[in-house]
Amino acid sequence: MNRLRVLKLGWEFPPLINGGLGIACLGLSQALAKHVDLRVIVPRAAPDTQFEGFELTGLNNLRVEELQTVEGKYRYESFAQIDRVPIHLDPYDISETTAEQIRMEPGGEIRFSQTTRNQLEQFKMGELYGADLGTKVVEFSKIAAKLALLTEFNIVHAHDWMTFLAGVEVKKATGKPLVLHVHASQYDRAGADARGWIYDIEKYGMEEADAVIPVSRYTGQICSGHYGIDPAKVHPVHNGAEPVEVFSTRKKFPEKLVLFLGRLTAQKGPEFFLEIAQRVLDVNKNVRFVMAGTGERLKPLIESGAFRGLGGYFHFTGFLNKEKVNELLSMTDIYCMPSVSEPFGLSALEAAQFGIPAVISKQSGVAEVLKGALKADFWDVELMAKHIIDLLEDDELRERVVKQAALDMAASTWDAAAEKVVAIYEDLVHASVR
Amino acid sequence: MPDVCLYFQVHQPNRLIPYDFFRIGEHAFYEDDGLNGEVLSKVSEKCYLPANAIFQKAIEDSKGRFRMALSISGTVIEQMAHHRPDVLKSFQDLVATGNVELLAETYYHSLAILHSKKEFERQVDKHLEILEDTFHVRPRVFRNTELIYNNAIAAQAETMGFDGILAEGVPWVLNGQSPNHLYRAPHVSQLKTILRNVGLSDDLGFRFSDKTWLEYPLTPEKFAGWLAKAPGDVVNLFLDYETIGEHQWKDTGIFDFWSALPEAVLDQDIKWVTPGEIVDIFRASKEYDCHWPTSWADAERDLSAWTGNVMQQEAIAKIHRLEEEVLAAKDPDLAHVWAKMQTSDHFYWMSTKGGTDGSVHQYFSPYGSPYDAYIYFMNALADLQIRLKRLREDKAIPEPVPHEESDGISSIG
Repeated sequence: MNRLRVLKLGWEFPPLINGGLGIACLGLSQALAKHVDLRVIVPRAAPDTQFEGFELTGLNNLRVEELQTVEGKYRYESFAQIDRVPIHLDPYDISETTAEQIRMEPGGEIRFSQTTRNQLEQFKMGELYGADLGTKVVEFSKIAAKLALLTEFNIVHAHDWMTFLAGVEVKKATGKPLVLHVHASQYDRAGADARGWIYDIEKYGMEEADAVIPVSRYTGQICSGHYGIDPAKVHPVHNGAEPVEVFSTRKKFPEKLVLFLGRLTAQKGPEFFLEIAQRVLDVNKNVRFVMAGTGERLKPLIESGAFRGLGGYFHFTGFLNKEKVNELLSMTDIYCMPSVSEPFGLSALEAAQFGIPAVISKQSGVAEVLKGALKADFWDVELMAKHIIDLLEDDELRERVVKQAALDMAASTWDAAAEKVVAIYEDLVHASVR
Repeated sequence: MPDVCLYFQVHQPNRLIPYDFFRIGEHAFYEDDGLNGEVLSKVSEKCYLPANAIFQKAIEDSKGRFRMALSISGTVIEQMAHHRPDVLKSFQDLVATGNVELLAETYYHSLAILHSKKEFERQVDKHLEILEDTFHVRPRVFRNTELIYNNAIAAQAETMGFDGILAEGVPWVLNGQSPNHLYRAPHVSQLKTILRNVGLSDDLGFRFSDKTWLEYPLTPEKFAGWLAKAPGDVVNLFLDYETIGEHQWKDTGIFDFWSALPEAVLDQDIKWVTPGEIVDIFRASKEYDCHWPTSWADAERDLSAWTGNVMQQEAIAKIHRLEEEVLAAKDPDLAHVWAKMQTSDHFYWMSTKGGTDGSVHQYFSPYGSPYDAYIYFMNALADLQIRLKRLREDKAIPEPVPHEESDGISSIG
């Protein structure tokens, strides 16, 4: 059988990344490249970065001349009516945003407009998630559709809402089956009540898609339950974890260390971590809590920690680079992830690689992977605290949790994930041939 | 016509390095020695040295009729001895004229009185010692950190043998009375309370260079005229020394002003007097009944500059909670490190106030934000606790029984 040809649409890609999305896209792309021919299109790629096995195109490196042959061949479907989208869009802002300026052209359709140098320029400047995010998302979709017309492929695979419009546009332009990968949804970022244009794009994209791949069964339930997507086309595939070089550092202080690592935003449940810390410290002073990361909740968290009198035992590190994160992991005794809604939770797997037992919320995808981790509902701080105290005091339990995690880790590879994704591709391609 | 009593505060804190989590347990030096030396040098060049020269000259030119008082904290004396002995010498020369009186305060410019009488007394004694050693004088008048004052602190100062104490003349305590008299706190028998004339002091400290001020520009003659017309026995002008040349820069004309003021005041037949003199000259016939602690800081004139938010409250409470343990360890270096962390500035930098006062807090802060100030301080505190624990284990000292009871004025006020 011929190798499948896959067009992948992504937003972040290493080394230019903001969070876990880019890391997951790279991991999956590398593993997929062993099975399929792969071209990845992202808004911005580091100009000199080469990846083995697949081709990476950053719109920042594209020249308008490369699009000339397809100019005018196709008219927009998904966003024909959207002239401008509001600026100052923050995907983590829970307030509602709507397309403010909707304009119908006379005749009701807009021809494929020529991509200008200026439009390509915007992918070279500013932040990927800056105030012009909405414009970038729309522009990315238009150009991706044009590139798709220039590319031979069997299937298009888009990662997270920023590329969903592009995915739908490519499907409409080429008729190829569309796979959407859900690494995180607006439900996770902004809560169950969040509505607005990002939610709308997510729902519209998933409705138009031929298959939806959430990164966990937990997220799959959100796709089918919260977004009303047909469960029959939702196929959860767990992320893999790149093996990291683990080492251990002798702590410079005698106390045990419990770590929270992540963006300090409501979704990650940092407030619950404070409450958990307070409950543990009430019975065991022989422990330090570290909250690593930064975010809009940092200041209120510091104040809340002071109010609870945790200072001196509860430490804030602010933003840490990868090297510092690994240094921290190398001296950590217990990893705690009380996320309110965590589609996957790669950091818990990374901690597991360092032999750190995890106490994690049931509202996370990684809870499905780390079978031995101690779990509780994110709001159940009593039980979370009990788990931590048990791990601090019961070496046998600790050993059992770490051992099970090692077994679970062994199964959590990108190769395993890629095989499942390829099976989904094949089903779709065969279905479309029939 | 009243006399004029001029007093300046001279103080520098020991700023901490950005003490992050990864240093805890291994990095035992908390202070930013480089930065502290740098700031001291900058302030010395801009303020201390030129101001000392102005007043040295004023004393000579007036044949001793110009007199004033300084309160020099223990921490800044240490810094000068370490980084700038020449500046310390310049202060010693000034005091040696006999016309500059020194006041007593807490060695560490701390808020110890709020938490522990014992620690407060230890720090005042330590300050008296360093004044004796460095300047060969023994003050009769006490001024608490940032003029923090209430009835209980006045009583405490009397118990310790002082004849006078300085305080902010807070309008809502004065209740319409003039600050230009000496006052007596309830329940003291001898000690006199000397109140800062807020309006005239702030004319020099804050409004001097304000071009929107109706009285701008302020000349020495005009100001001396105001003093001559003031009611009462004595106008008390209490200021930060850094007002001259640091808060008010040279180009505002502040040096010319202070060079001419001593003479301009004498020309009006007004006498320059010191706190130690006025407690002998004037009677304290009226009562100044101040229950709640007041200070000269911020618009509130209370403790909120240092204890206004939960970060400040926690940091102060936790550093003082170590008192018994630190002193029991009998390690003078460790006790010194601990006590330097009591310096009020550490808590001042943690203030999250906004507005004009908020910008003043930030202006003096070596850190990016009050939150950074809190985080670095608490991390250093965590390290200090670890060192204490190790000392205890080495010397096999039993773990102290923590008790929350404070015997500072927060509980007796």
